[in-house]
Amino acid sequence: MPAETHVEKGPLGRPEVFELIRDQLADILEIEPGSISESSSFAEDLDADSLALIELVEGLEEELGERTVGFRIEDEDLEDLRTVRDAVDYVVAKLGTA
Amino acid sequence: MGGDNAPGEIVAGARRAAEELGIAVVLVGPPEQIGDTGGLDVLPASEVIAMDDDPASSVRRKKDSSLVRAAEAVRDGKALAMVSAGNTGAAMASALLRMGRLKGVVRPAIATPIPQLGSHPAVLLDAGANAECTPAMLVQFAQMGAAYSSARYGVEEPTVALLSIGEEKSKGTPLVKETHELLESAAHVRFVGNVEGRDLLRAPADVLVTDGFTGNVALKTLEGSLRFFMDALLEVFASDEEAKAAAEVMLPRLAPLAAEFDPDGIGGAALLGVDGVCVISHGSSNATAIVSALRVAHDVAAAGLVDRVAQAVSPL
Repeated sequence: MPAETHVEKGPLGRPEVFELIRDQLADILEIEPGSISESSSFAEDLDADSLALIELVEGLEEELGERTVGFRIEDEDLEDLRTVRDAVDYVVAKLGTA
Repeated sequence: MGGDNAPGEIVAGARRAAEELGIAVVLVGPPEQIGDTGGLDVLPASEVIAMDDDPASSVRRKKDSSLVRAAEAVRDGKALAMVSAGNTGAAMASALLRMGRLKGVVRPAIATPIPQLGSHPAVLLDAGANAECTPAMLVQFAQMGAAYSSARYGVEEPTVALLSIGEEKSKGTPLVKETHELLESAAHVRFVGNVEGRDLLRAPADVLVTDGFTGNVALKTLEGSLRFFMDALLEVFASDEEAKAAAEVMLPRLAPLAAEFDPDGIGGAALLGVDGVCVISHGSSNATAIVSALRVAHDVAAAGLVDRVAQAVSPL
């Protein structure tokens, strides 16, 4: 079931979710946003370790929690997120948007 | 609340630091477990992250843990610094996630003092936070280590050496060789070249830079070797009557040297690159080690460590 959305901010589409994840990753990893694509692998292409991914998760929960009540990324789901595309798909599904 | 000897030795050390150093120490943890605080304030936290808990996920899962609450107290300006003898990874994760990274810092690093004969300790980093590093990360470690050496030991222009398997710049792994190139022209770094493992206790520099895997192996090797040497020496002194007589003369002279190399007196390792002061004491810390760690945390906070690190680091 899609999560409840706050009225003051509209739901995010897939392009906006990608931009959000890309910008937060760029900030965490201190790299240019342009160097991150949907096919980028967290470990192999971006050298993102587990702590960097937790930083990303906390950042997304903070940002998206302001828009969507109860938005949360489950720790046990993190192992399945290997690429930026995986993360975008996961967040889009959680938000119930397309 | 973390560490093998918590809470007894931790509370005892906190009380001693308050009495001997005049530091206002706040204990963080479940009040019913902390016991008699001797009048020290308590910041309640209902959970404790165990030594074997997964660092990153436990910080997310145990939001009311002593480590998380301590990091939040620093973030919120209620404390100047945090000290922990608990799960090192979780201490690092809680500091990183709650205090935040300093702008421009890719990954925080653990800086640990290495005693030197007749001089202030050298600073070795990374001592274990990042097993895999890039050359650019090592350059930032050099910059952060120099800032720490200044804040902790008052060194005006700290020198930096790179840990390798030979002094020549052509020696070492690709990581070491590329880092050497970058350090030669890095901002805020007085690079003096490579240093070998045998020189750690007679370091030709104030800061010793390496990746977290190598740094941790070097540190543990050093600690184990020193402990072995001390034990072997004591065995010799106890071997016969003549040796015992010699021990009566020699041991009082050796005691100050032993104290200089005693991990309990050194004061823990600092996590550099986060927006707050976090000192990590070893898991078997006794009250003396906690006093030392609190002294270091207080002193580097007062010396403006975080601002110094922020100014020293060059964005990648």
